[in-house]
Amino acid sequence: MKMKRFGAAVLAGAMMMTGLAGCGSSGGDETGSGTSSGGGKTVTLWATGSDNVREVYESLVEDFNNNSEYAGQYEVELQFMLSGTGTQTLTDMIVAASKAGQTNTDYDIVDLGGDDLSKVVSQIGEETFVKLDDSKLPNAEGVEAESSVATDYVQPYRGTTVVLAYDSEKVETPPSTWDELVEWMQANPGRFAYNTPGTGGAGDSFARTAVYNFMDEEAITSDDAKWEEDWDEGFQFLADIHQYMYSSGGSIVYPNKNQGTLDLLNQGEIDMCANWADMVLSQRAEGTLKDTIKIAQLDPALTGSFQSLAIPTFGSNEDGAYAFMDYMLSESAQEIMVKEMAAIPLIDTSNIDMTGFEDVQNLDVSDFRIMSIGDLSTDFNERWDNEIGTLG
Amino acid sequence: MSKSLKQNIVAYGMVMPAFLVVMLTVAYPIVSAVIQSFQDEKTGEFTFENYTYFFTEPAQLQNLLFTLFVVFVTVIVAIVIAYLLALYLRFVKSKISKAIGTLYLLPRFVPAMCAVYAMITIIRDSGLINRIGLLFGVDIHLGMMYHASGIITMNLWFNIPFAAMMIAAGLGAIPDSIIEGARDVGAGKLKVFTSMILPLSMKDVVVAGTFVFMTNVGSFTTPYLMGGNAPKMLGIALFDQFNKYLDYNRSAALSVIMFLICSVSAGVYIYTNLKEQDWEKQ
Repeated sequence: MKMKRFGAAVLAGAMMMTGLAGCGSSGGDETGSGTSSGGGKTVTLWATGSDNVREVYESLVEDFNNNSEYAGQYEVELQFMLSGTGTQTLTDMIVAASKAGQTNTDYDIVDLGGDDLSKVVSQIGEETFVKLDDSKLPNAEGVEAESSVATDYVQPYRGTTVVLAYDSEKVETPPSTWDELVEWMQANPGRFAYNTPGTGGAGDSFARTAVYNFMDEEAITSDDAKWEEDWDEGFQFLADIHQYMYSSGGSIVYPNKNQGTLDLLNQGEIDMCANWADMVLSQRAEGTLKDTIKIAQLDPALTGSFQSLAIPTFGSNEDGAYAFMDYMLSESAQEIMVKEMAAIPLIDTSNIDMTGFEDVQNLDVSDFRIMSIGDLSTDFNERWDNEIGTLG
Repeated sequence: MSKSLKQNIVAYGMVMPAFLVVMLTVAYPIVSAVIQSFQDEKTGEFTFENYTYFFTEPAQLQNLLFTLFVVFVTVIVAIVIAYLLALYLRFVKSKISKAIGTLYLLPRFVPAMCAVYAMITIIRDSGLINRIGLLFGVDIHLGMMYHASGIITMNLWFNIPFAAMMIAAGLGAIPDSIIEGARDVGAGKLKVFTSMILPLSMKDVVVAGTFVFMTNVGSFTTPYLMGGNAPKMLGIALFDQFNKYLDYNRSAALSVIMFLICSVSAGVYIYTNLKEQDWEKQ
């Protein structure tokens, strides 16, 4: 009897182990070639970002599968990695798949932009993506926007930029140059804020633009460590304007995250902040921000970025990927992005209904200042934390 | 195969899965983090550099002292209030105390994120308190956001119910007969408290204190949303090292430092438990 029970325990243990092993291997297949073996029709799209990006992508995929000229021909499946959840990031997954030498995976088409794109390109090179053939992208003809990284290998499909967001009830004419901005700050101490760099792109953009305004124009798209020596003047500027920033509890405060400054603006604790145009406009359209909050751009401009699509060479449905890429530059897709996320369209807007998003039209993508300083951003944030964040 | 050997095999076999999981997911990462914390970022050679950084860099030293300050204030205030609350719930029998007894655990069921945002909307300079003040023509600026006082207030919100629950359980175990006995031989209320109730509940107070201490040393959500830029709590400093500066060796060193701070309180916890067993033996 005893022996039997012991045998059963061993058996149960063994079954559990095989069960676990089974889970392991099936999990591996999913990111490998397993799910895409259907070939031809299914196109797997990988994207990452905040939850609002997921919602937009769901609308786009639905529109593509049901209403676009490719409906019926291809079926797009969305794999969305929510950012900031501590799971493996999309960039890591792509780099890992490439370095492991995988082929025929279901990374058919990936959404990358800004730092993510430069990270991937610096780690596995632009040749891991298909060099784009313009003849397969008829809608891309009128698109002038070019990615500053891997230009021939990725296709920008929407843009956004950091702007000054201000409360028009308190500020009649927003500053249009940096000197005017500083004058405004001096006249209205405690009424401006930008978020801690490293906690959100708006603060990154404000601090970096402020510093790089004192440097050669070519520095803004270089990750060469020699430029770090030229940061001093810009950091001195940030230290100089520190005293005019928002304060709470007796000390100057830089809130965390883009939403942190936007909340302060909406609550009336500040009158102006640096923030993403799309965040401000879409929240205003949803009614979570006051109607009186408007946007304006400085000269030299705060930096913006393009979001791009790329086709990894180790994917398994190149034609389908081209189809979706082309669709993303169609008028109907661009209109969805304008309406749902206040994205800046990259195609001619004369046939797009921009009602409610007229502000977007004024943000000309040809004026865009794109910044890509790669790994220097890590040192930049650390220096900011040590020199500016500690001023108190 | 002897009977006892078979029993041993079965016993170890049953412990083995749990043991392996703990080894793999707890012990191994701790060991590798400790090793990494003594390695140079680039060369991988042995160095104390990662540790000296946190004790010599003024900003980092400030972070450490700030964390200890916030945690100690939280522990002391939370325990005092929780103790008073537990005493009230144990010895006052009324409808109000019953109602409080059922309600005081409610905060434990509110998700941390919601609670923090709720607190922010109340205490921020343009929050509920400010708006109520404006109705009466006073412009109240609490200045609690991005300040230690805000973090401590939030910590109290989380920890008082927890500490009160532990202490109330301890107080509940004190039989009424002991108190009545002391009363019978002429002890006053204060005497009953200082020589009966306090010593008998001391162990639970210390245990509750150590738990509050440990959960707050590494807290993240509250200081991230409510804290200022400098000084920062260690949880945020660790996040910066790991996610912003990508310095994994310093991150490992800071983790070990936080682990050591917590282990002091874990030591107190174990010591109180062992002492109790000695007392029971006599």
